[in-house]
Amino acid sequence: MKVLMKPVDMIATYPRDGLPIPHKYRIADTDGTARVIKVDRILYRTEEKLAGNRMLIYRCQSTIAGTQRVYELKYELNTCRWFLYKM
Amino acid sequence: MTGERKIIFHIDVNSAYLSWEAVDQLQHGASLDIRTIPAVIGGNPEKRHGIVLAKSIPAKKYQIKTGETLYAARLKCPGLAIFPPRYDLYVRCSEAMLDLLREYSPSLQRYSIDEVFLDYTHMEKHFGDPREAAHQIKDRIYRELGFTVNIGISSNKLLAKMASDFSKPNKVHTLFPEEIPEKLWPLPVEDLFMVGRATAPKLHRLGIYTIGDLARADPALLKKRLKSHGLLIWNYANGREDSPVGDFPGIKSVGNSSTIAFDVEDRKTAHMFLLSLSEMVAMRLRNAGYLARLVVVSLKSQDFFSYSHQRQLYTATDSTNRIYAAAVSIFDEMWQGEPLRAIGVRAGALVDGSLQQLSLFDPGDWLKQRAMDAAVDKIRTKYGSNMIMRAVFLHSGIKPLTGGVWEEDYPMMSSLL
Repeated sequence: MKVLMKPVDMIATYPRDGLPIPHKYRIADTDGTARVIKVDRILYRTEEKLAGNRMLIYRCQSTIAGTQRVYELKYELNTCRWFLYKM
Repeated sequence: MTGERKIIFHIDVNSAYLSWEAVDQLQHGASLDIRTIPAVIGGNPEKRHGIVLAKSIPAKKYQIKTGETLYAARLKCPGLAIFPPRYDLYVRCSEAMLDLLREYSPSLQRYSIDEVFLDYTHMEKHFGDPREAAHQIKDRIYRELGFTVNIGISSNKLLAKMASDFSKPNKVHTLFPEEIPEKLWPLPVEDLFMVGRATAPKLHRLGIYTIGDLARADPALLKKRLKSHGLLIWNYANGREDSPVGDFPGIKSVGNSSTIAFDVEDRKTAHMFLLSLSEMVAMRLRNAGYLARLVVVSLKSQDFFSYSHQRQLYTATDSTNRIYAAAVSIFDEMWQGEPLRAIGVRAGALVDGSLQQLSLFDPGDWLKQRAMDAAVDKIRTKYGSNMIMRAVFLHSGIKPLTGGVWEEDYPMMSSLL
């Protein structure tokens, strides 16, 4: 997997008793067109606090252009932003 | 001290500002670790804050020194990468490190933003041998927070601090009293805490070049030449120091200063800077609950000549107007009309602010002044510091409040252990 760290538009749910769950996100493709990707499965979630900055990392799986891909999403608690971290 | 000996850790972040910037960049997807290239954290040269605040280890190989100008640093290393300082990031990193350290001891002292003393006495029962615990702390900080630290272990704060400085980065060193002759005494005397630019040449004239020379010197001679400071450093050279690990000692003075983007050449502008600084100083005094009996004004001229004058007040005060008035009168006495690049205002000789002694000669409206100061503080705290300002600053391009509060709250350097 390569580090991308691209900001994405996200639709997620925030359960009353837990951490956010990503459902689908929109990302600008290399040619500038927007592409929507649905999160098929969340494999596991970890947390990091590098430099004291908390981030949740979701290892996810989706079907993109007909192939099944595993990648990571990151949620920065401090700014409430989502990123496509690695793919 | 009697009984069993204490165990003190000194935790020191390696190239703190630079490491923190590097970790933040990596976390946000950067592919390059700026710790591995010649890089520095530096101020903005256009605002004349252009000095090196922190450097990477590769930058050190080019003889770049903390405190020198970015211009000089670029001459030594043309490809040098320069990043601006980000104090909010540093505070966050420092807090995160403190949170982690609190798991190991209830007794901590934040000595500066990137240095912490930790009292490990009696903690062996919980976390084992001090050396192993120190390694564990160091590795956890690296794994969880992403930056490296040096940890010095000894039986007092002075020796622990000297130990953490031995060799960097990412190391644990011990310097117990029995190790002093071997590890501390061969070092040059300038490396000793509290021996600086002014003291070192005086010691050299006495034939004292290493810390060992100082430790073996005659204390009476040192006292004669260097007064009480001579005894202090003689004790330090022998590893004698016995202050408890505790919260930062109460503040001794409150001051702000500013290096200005242009040279100040007229009195009116200088007075505006004094007012702007006095606003910040007085607000911080009131916030900390102190009154000041001393006002100091310091100036730095265009050609880097610094001087300061001070004046005792008849009664202690925290009023912006009174501090400003004192600062103006000191300034008018001392200033010779030369172009100024930096101005500072400091309030000292602090006393508890819960009682206030009045004077017959004070202006009669002090109650009104006090109420006004309180109202202004309240507005600034609630809505932001620029919500209310003196009309003189309108369209002047000068900030109505000058001086970062932050650096003062976590002192960069202190002579008090």
